[in-house]
Amino acid sequence: MNTITNIATVARREFEVRMRTRSFVFGTLLLVVGVLAIALLPVIVRYVDRQDATKVAVAAPADLATDPVATLNRLLNAPTAAADPQAAPDYVVTLVDNIDMGRADVINGRYAALFAIDRAADGDLSFTLYSNDTTGRSATLAWQAANSIAVADRLDRLGVAADDQAAVFAPAQFGVAWPDPSRTDPIGDTAALVGQDILAFGMSILIFMMIVMYGTWIAMSVVEEKSSRVMEVVLNAATPFQLMAGKVLGVGSVAFTQYAAVVLSGGLALMFQDAIASTVLGEGGGATLPEGLNMGMLLAFAVYGVLGFLLYACLFAAAGSLVSRQEDVNTAVMPLTLLSAAGYMIAVYASTGMLDIRAGWIVLLSLVPFLGPFMMLSRISDGAVQPWEIVVSVALLLAVLGAALWLAARIYRAGVLLYGQRPGVLAVWRMVRSGV
Amino acid sequence: MIKGRRVQASLNEGTVGMSLTIDGLRKRFGEVQALDRVSFQVRPGEVFGFLGANGAGKTTTMRIVLGFLRPDDGTVTWNQLPAASWPRRIWGYMPEERGLYLRMPVLDQLVYFASLYGVPRATARRDAIQWLARFRIEDYADRKAESLSKGNQQKVQYIATILHDPDVILMDEPFSGLDPVNVALLKSAFLEMCERGKTVIFSTHQLDQAEELCDSVAIIDRGRIVTTGTTREVKRSTGHQVVRVATAHDGDIRWLQSLPHVTVTRPGHDYTEVRVESGSDPQAVLRAAMSHGGDVLRFEVADPSLEEVFVTRVGALDTHERTLAAVAEAVE
Repeated sequence: MNTITNIATVARREFEVRMRTRSFVFGTLLLVVGVLAIALLPVIVRYVDRQDATKVAVAAPADLATDPVATLNRLLNAPTAAADPQAAPDYVVTLVDNIDMGRADVINGRYAALFAIDRAADGDLSFTLYSNDTTGRSATLAWQAANSIAVADRLDRLGVAADDQAAVFAPAQFGVAWPDPSRTDPIGDTAALVGQDILAFGMSILIFMMIVMYGTWIAMSVVEEKSSRVMEVVLNAATPFQLMAGKVLGVGSVAFTQYAAVVLSGGLALMFQDAIASTVLGEGGGATLPEGLNMGMLLAFAVYGVLGFLLYACLFAAAGSLVSRQEDVNTAVMPLTLLSAAGYMIAVYASTGMLDIRAGWIVLLSLVPFLGPFMMLSRISDGAVQPWEIVVSVALLLAVLGAALWLAARIYRAGVLLYGQRPGVLAVWRMVRSGV
Repeated sequence: MIKGRRVQASLNEGTVGMSLTIDGLRKRFGEVQALDRVSFQVRPGEVFGFLGANGAGKTTTMRIVLGFLRPDDGTVTWNQLPAASWPRRIWGYMPEERGLYLRMPVLDQLVYFASLYGVPRATARRDAIQWLARFRIEDYADRKAESLSKGNQQKVQYIATILHDPDVILMDEPFSGLDPVNVALLKSAFLEMCERGKTVIFSTHQLDQAEELCDSVAIIDRGRIVTTGTTREVKRSTGHQVVRVATAHDGDIRWLQSLPHVTVTRPGHDYTEVRVESGSDPQAVLRAAMSHGGDVLRFEVADPSLEEVFVTRVGALDTHERTLAAVAEAVE
């Protein structure tokens, strides 16, 4: 009871003191603004984009069967129109009287390009794109338009009626299917698959950042108490274990608060991206969840995130207790940073397909508590994980968390009164065994 | 005030075993034997001085008493029960290196420290404000500790030590770095603690402070207790006595120097101080003064000062400065 009260008291102080600091308030605000900016980047880009549609000039002979302005309009604006029929067009196509005037206007910047159509002596059409930028998407689209106009012109000269031409240009039937006939799960939804990979990838990054950022923060705050010598004052009132647990939970709550602010604002911005876009840009659309995000995945993220953080956080506290100066903190926590980086890297490689996520050694590594929080998320999102594997990995994580707490408390107990040079691994082991 | 306290202390002598008993402590840091069979007793309600040079083992002993460190051997008991079995709130500790949360408001951290000992926040707040007022720093209650002067930080530190109303107060070099005004303030606070029945143990290398305040002392050197007991016992432990004598023929002290078993320790204009070896009669000095020097203006027999005892038993303080750095190095 006493222990719990003291842990709560220590945690409360850590939380209150930190929440009040200006650096925390402004840091969090800055992060939220940054995340919002990134999440809403597509909307912002479209908002900026719609102000200046690319102007294209067309010079064409008068005897064309099809209207070149209409064809170009349709082809150039097809990608935008497919995404949103109400969207403002990316390109504005204008007919000009002759090629020379058009070229002059491209040079003086009135048009981005001149699409010149000429009829050769053999009756076929020839096309020239006058533009300073011939490498981008516009050039490809112009080339497609040229083909389309040329074919239509040839058909016209062959005497094919306009209605028949429409049938000729109708899109073909096209589909994809699994090579394995026994597979029945839907195929071809590339957007969902990519979305899921990115989701696991993003969650791994979030857990990794939380462990390293706030773990270092915990170590720093231990060293701060040591260097201000307040450690001995509180050590008379509370046990090293209470002090350490309170610190981990207190700084952890601050971390979760900041994280929640950032992740929630980012998540909400993503969910309501379309709604925001429709308000800002005057387009239609409602709230949508990112592809692949479901309750199971969120629960896994929460469980592995919290357990992984606690496991690393108490070890970060122990590492911090071994040094007495702020500048030594990074060296002391290096092994922990590297270990978490390893787990994160493997998880990222596996979820992006650079490693085979279903390989035996990946499965085995994903059960290791220090790597599991990162890797299990990738495996769960991949969908090939057995329920018992999740149970085993969480059970192992809990067991190792208990052992780590014990070990960290022993190191902490010896470390907090230790001033001077940083002890080596052997010295630390002796301290743990003797309990000082 | 002091008289009343001594009466109380002598009453406590009857209650055998009701004390802080440190028995046979040993502690080794690597190659350094920091403590070697350290034993002494502190009776409840007394002011106890723990005297020694830097690095003699004072801090290590205190840390073991408080349970921060485990001894290799030996026990610490308070009122016949192991020290560790008592609740934390009976102990008050002021470490030598002062420690406060520099960026935390003074009142907030006092409440925090007390609440770790289980004191309700409202009570801690009320008491802390009273103490701050008593030390005339109530205006700093909401200021961050770093904005306070060193002397005021020490006052806050002292309040943090006693705010939870501990029974045994251990203080490591409480007077170091304090100006005379604050030393006097702290001394009166000590004596008040004793009047309230608290046991105060403090370490110091300022022997005059110890002599003025302490009912009992222990002298430690290189991890061993050299002598311990009531201040009077310790002062008499060398067997020497001090005689202060002044005659009408002041200035001429050759007659004193010729006396057997007598050493002139402090020649002076007002009086001359001599040390009389153990076994010799101080009255011999008086007789010699009357027969050799004419009118005797002053004659006083006293116990040697703690400083004299310390020098006799251990040697001069400054030649025995063994820094904690040496111990710390040995730990590596």
